[in-house]
Amino acid sequence: MTARTLWLACALSAPVAAADQAVLDRGQKEEARSCLPCHSLRLVHSQRLSRATWNKELDKMAGWGAKIQDRDALLEYLAANFGDDKPAAAPALSGDGSGGKKP
Amino acid sequence: MRPNRRQLFATLLSAAAAGKLGRAADDAVTIPGKRPMILHNDRPEDLETPVRYFDSWLTPIDAFFVRQHIPRPAPIDPEAYRLTVNGMVSNPRQLSLADLRKLPQYTVPATIECTGNGRGFFTPKVPGIQWMRGAIGNAEWKGPRVGDVLKLAGLDASAAFLEADGADAGVAATPDFVRSLPIQKAMHPATILALSMNGQAPDIHGFPVRLIVPGWDGTSSVKWVIRISAAAQPNGGFFMNPAYRFPKYALPPGSPPRPGELEVIHGMPVKSCITAPEDQARFAPGAIAIRGFAWAGEQSIERVDVSTDGGSRWHAAELSSPKLPFAWRLWHLDWRPTDPGYYTILSRATDSAGRVQPIVATWNPSGYLWNAIDRVGVTVEAAA
Repeated sequence: MTARTLWLACALSAPVAAADQAVLDRGQKEEARSCLPCHSLRLVHSQRLSRATWNKELDKMAGWGAKIQDRDALLEYLAANFGDDKPAAAPALSGDGSGGKKP
Repeated sequence: MRPNRRQLFATLLSAAAAGKLGRAADDAVTIPGKRPMILHNDRPEDLETPVRYFDSWLTPIDAFFVRQHIPRPAPIDPEAYRLTVNGMVSNPRQLSLADLRKLPQYTVPATIECTGNGRGFFTPKVPGIQWMRGAIGNAEWKGPRVGDVLKLAGLDASAAFLEADGADAGVAATPDFVRSLPIQKAMHPATILALSMNGQAPDIHGFPVRLIVPGWDGTSSVKWVIRISAAAQPNGGFFMNPAYRFPKYALPPGSPPRPGELEVIHGMPVKSCITAPEDQARFAPGAIAIRGFAWAGEQSIERVDVSTDGGSRWHAAELSSPKLPFAWRLWHLDWRPTDPGYYTILSRATDSAGRVQPIVATWNPSGYLWNAIDRVGVTVEAAA
């Protein structure tokens, strides 16, 4: 790819990316609305799944009572941020609740 | 400094406000009674033990992993607690804690491992908590035998299963947590209703009464058990089918499950884990202690072999006593590498039934029973 075609590709893809971002933002709002009533978002964000598997997870969660309104945007958001092509999530540690005992 | 009531109230208020504003995934979370744990989910609590904590045969409660499908039940008043024993029994009972304490008490050392421990190692990835090595722990559980409780209630000789229900209830439309086990396993002398764990109240691990099904996957050991029912058939709920089932015949990795070919898991496979050194650690020249644990479900551990060269040569590790079914054994190997460089360390357990830990774990759609040979890499620096 020459510099010129690369520049063109970037220019052409920019508006598309902006549109996608709006969908992703909607997806993130939907995540808070439909997932948080039952569990923390860590459960979602620690996983790396294909779009097809996220799609099945949404069906499973709807079956368990999740009220998903903006389903397409939520799926976009999950696939874009937590797809199986993404590196594994860095492990998070909880704070020390042991009352000061040394590990 | 001890906070006064006013400060406490202010803290609670600000925590409530923060919760309302976002509950961002990166908020710091502390679980009362627990050291820093790998946090997979903080509501409900799904906590993995960092393997560096596994330096004792008994895993302290403050370091013991937690797996919760649904939120913890409201705190149970031990005075008001009753265990319902019903179903195929001639004399249904409501037993108090005092009743349970009157029965002979037995201490059972048993390793409890989440069925999905190691799920994060499977490729392709499967949904569920991405446990790595630490959804496992070993404790001394103490309480009456399930068999004695069932005899007290006049167990019907034709009962084939025991159903156990925990006090936790689902959220939204999630199913209730109910499990069944074959009556033979329920009547096994090591299957108990634990009233204590390492000599303490089991707390988040099922206070006041937890079913302990030694050698089986952790999900069998129902927490906060409030009802046991003898039955002719196994419970048909979600947590028995399709959950916690393993393919009868192995599938090509990435395949969808074949519902007709899923089986309930009876007993855990043979497995070892390297708890030191830490993966990708760097060392100055000198002695390096390699250690870990190994367990084999209803079998006991016969040997653990360790390789420091990617599996060309193997060395027998020293094993801790006692050699028991149900409970892990710790192992160690003192190693003094002669050359600098990068080393791949492997551990492989063999059990009393002759089962040997495989090189490749069987991929399955739910990511259960990961037991491949464990592996860490370390670098030994050149002498200064």
